[in-house]
Amino acid sequence: MTAFDAWWTPGPALRGEPGDAGRSGELVLRAPEVDGAAVESLARRLRRGREEALASLDADDVVDRIDAVASRFLRRGDRLREQALELLPLTTGYAPAMAERVLGGMARDWQGDRLRGLLEAEFDDPAVLDAFRPGPRGRRLRALGPELTFHVGAGNVPGVTVTSLVRALLVKSAALVKPGSGDPVLPVLFARGLAGVDPELAEAVAVVYWPGGAGGPEEAALAAADATVAYGGDEAIRALRGRAPDGARIVAYHHRVSFGIVARDALSAERVEETAYRAAEAASIFEQRGCVSPHLFYAERGGDASPELFAERLAGAFRRLEGELPSGRLRPDEASAIHQLRGEAELEAAAGGGRTVYRSDDAAWTVVYDHDPAFEPSCLNRVVRVKPVDEVHDVADRVRRYRRHLQTVGVAGAGGRLAGLAEVLGKAGVTRVAPLASMAWPPPWWHHDGMDPLRPLVRWVDLEG
Amino acid sequence: MELDRELKDLFARGVDRPLDDEAFDALALRVFRHQAGANPVYGRYARARGVSPDDAARWSDVPPVPTRAFKRLALACGDPDDADAVFVTSGTTGGEGRRGRHHVLDLDLYHASLLPNLEAHLLPDGLRPPIFALLPPPAEAPASSLVHMVDVAMERFGASGSGYFVEAGGDGGDDAGSGAGAGLAAAELRRAVDGAVDADEAVLVAGTAFSFVHWLDALEDAGVRLRLPPGSRLMETGGFKGRSRSVPREELYGAVEERLGIPGSHVVNEYGMTEMLSQFWEPVLREALAGEPVRRRHVPPPWVRTRVLDPSTLAPLPPGEVGLLHHFDLANLHSVSSILTEDLGVAVEGGFHVLGRAGDAEPRGCSIAMDDLLSASGTSR
Repeated sequence: MTAFDAWWTPGPALRGEPGDAGRSGELVLRAPEVDGAAVESLARRLRRGREEALASLDADDVVDRIDAVASRFLRRGDRLREQALELLPLTTGYAPAMAERVLGGMARDWQGDRLRGLLEAEFDDPAVLDAFRPGPRGRRLRALGPELTFHVGAGNVPGVTVTSLVRALLVKSAALVKPGSGDPVLPVLFARGLAGVDPELAEAVAVVYWPGGAGGPEEAALAAADATVAYGGDEAIRALRGRAPDGARIVAYHHRVSFGIVARDALSAERVEETAYRAAEAASIFEQRGCVSPHLFYAERGGDASPELFAERLAGAFRRLEGELPSGRLRPDEASAIHQLRGEAELEAAAGGGRTVYRSDDAAWTVVYDHDPAFEPSCLNRVVRVKPVDEVHDVADRVRRYRRHLQTVGVAGAGGRLAGLAEVLGKAGVTRVAPLASMAWPPPWWHHDGMDPLRPLVRWVDLEG
Repeated sequence: MELDRELKDLFARGVDRPLDDEAFDALALRVFRHQAGANPVYGRYARARGVSPDDAARWSDVPPVPTRAFKRLALACGDPDDADAVFVTSGTTGGEGRRGRHHVLDLDLYHASLLPNLEAHLLPDGLRPPIFALLPPPAEAPASSLVHMVDVAMERFGASGSGYFVEAGGDGGDDAGSGAGAGLAAAELRRAVDGAVDADEAVLVAGTAFSFVHWLDALEDAGVRLRLPPGSRLMETGGFKGRSRSVPREELYGAVEERLGIPGSHVVNEYGMTEMLSQFWEPVLREALAGEPVRRRHVPPPWVRTRVLDPSTLAPLPPGEVGLLHHFDLANLHSVSSILTEDLGVAVEGGFHVLGRAGDAEPRGCSIAMDDLLSASGTSR
């Protein structure tokens, strides 16, 4: 069993020998035991570290340093990249091709040009992060990030926690990062990489691991930080808010549901194969476990290909995609959920329910054509339903009840109707409408769950006169 | 019908005469043929999977139905409204609409299968004890197959003093755990126990693991140690899904010995499910009373076959490897016999171990889990 040191601190900051800290998939995690006192001490050290280096760097310089680490993850043969590609399959079950695709996609958005794009999208003048700058209405403005942020990761879409850390660094915040058990690898490797690029900057970063829900260290971190960024399910976030001090600043990213819409132009004879391929790919990236991953596709009637035919084409696309982007290893519960769903769908098909099931021989992928237009979430891991809709705008009514959890809708073939469609979807709760082909890869400047990524972290100071 | 009578005769022979593969397969294929014909939905389902009754050569060829399908469809060989009883799973999330329903067309067949199996494993010494059930009575839980099973046992084997000790409002679930909670009639139970102790009469106590934990916790809080008369035995079943407190088996059995005076050899676990009429018992009490080495495992009765399947490919696994449990239960004649469960297990010599539900783990990723989304929006399917 491969073991991994699931923590990184600037210099010796935690006492005690690293011990067994549980597992992340097939990876054995090792970490020293951390209690509330150790977290408080670490928090003080991170603030000092920030004071001595990060605080006096320009945002632009911070970008350069992050970019240098990103480049390592992207450079073939680089040790950091090789380690990531060796370890990610163990925590996620991803096949090597998927690990490469995901690492590449996530690290691309830690590169300088992308991060500058984020800064420019959020701030009229990103230099407000460094000094007072002229702003609207004759004021001078300054944007100050929290001195210390606490990041609580969840799930195992690799890189999500690192992106959270990157955002904190951009606003000059020291960061105490506690990855979820599913994604310990990239935060630790990133921190190591950062220390290699700029050891002084890295004094403001720590990645610490403790088993889920452990009261002492988490409460200490929630209290010590100026702001917390938390990822998780509704219940986990509710519990976390409960453990935080009154009035604590918490930016929460809940679990989300996303889906796709295939309009009739995308079902033309010329386009249907390409559309099917894009849909299969969107549902396969991250093995469908991302917040951006489509649970199902609404296919519009009236195109050359009917929704039923699109389902068949989609199945063919999944079959072909196995060659390029093979499915990963499933946990027994994930595989079991797939077989249960398939059996239910097949029985309903046999009961004359207007369903057709297409599937791989093993649990790799499943497509269910379901004439019932009611929205249904997927058990994930490349299991999608195709449901018919007369007119793309009708989709909004189907999904409105999930408004609190909706996120991305990937759209193909809407043509001139796209803006109107986005309007009704937005009102139904959707926060991002994207081309089907790029729905899995939101840009760094996206409104993440409808929020600016950086602004919720900063405090403005106005200088009038 | 002919097959019905043959099966009843088979059950009556008891659990000590194994059915060889050839004989089992012959019966299984006849059952499959009956089910494929009398339940057109299942028949079409099997054909769509490439296995019609003419194609199957052995029980393992018969296409299994997943347990969850019982939530969506009435899987009965006949009119579901003609059912003698409808058992409903205790449900986890999402409310009534998402509970599995087993329409039992013939209760006599059910009783014929359950009684010999239960007797062989809980009463191998011929005892006819008072049966104390930590369960609500049938009138309070008419849809619980567990309560029904205990009731039938009480009627056939229970001495006077038998009764139910969970009050109205405690839910009468089955494999997923039954009520107790706040509903345990602790004082009455104590009186019943004291009565048995005074009379030096061995008893059978039956309930879910969770109800026992509740009772034992209460005894511990009160500093009470009961000493049930020698020969008393305990039947427990179910897990802790959805409950606030989960207790490892060894700890539970330790507490049983400590608080009730019943040794581990007299604690028999039952593994069953609403979707399947037969039960799997541990042979520990039989073995202990026969002076044989006691080895915990679950043993299929002669009219059930179980195998372990690779969770991804559903290919059969050899003993020692963990996978999904697939059962073929002849007693399910009037519904569906071939069942793919969500339970993980491993085959061992002379039976198998149940390791837990495959469906319990947290989903990975940032995408919302099905159950969370459906309960958040108040939807049931």
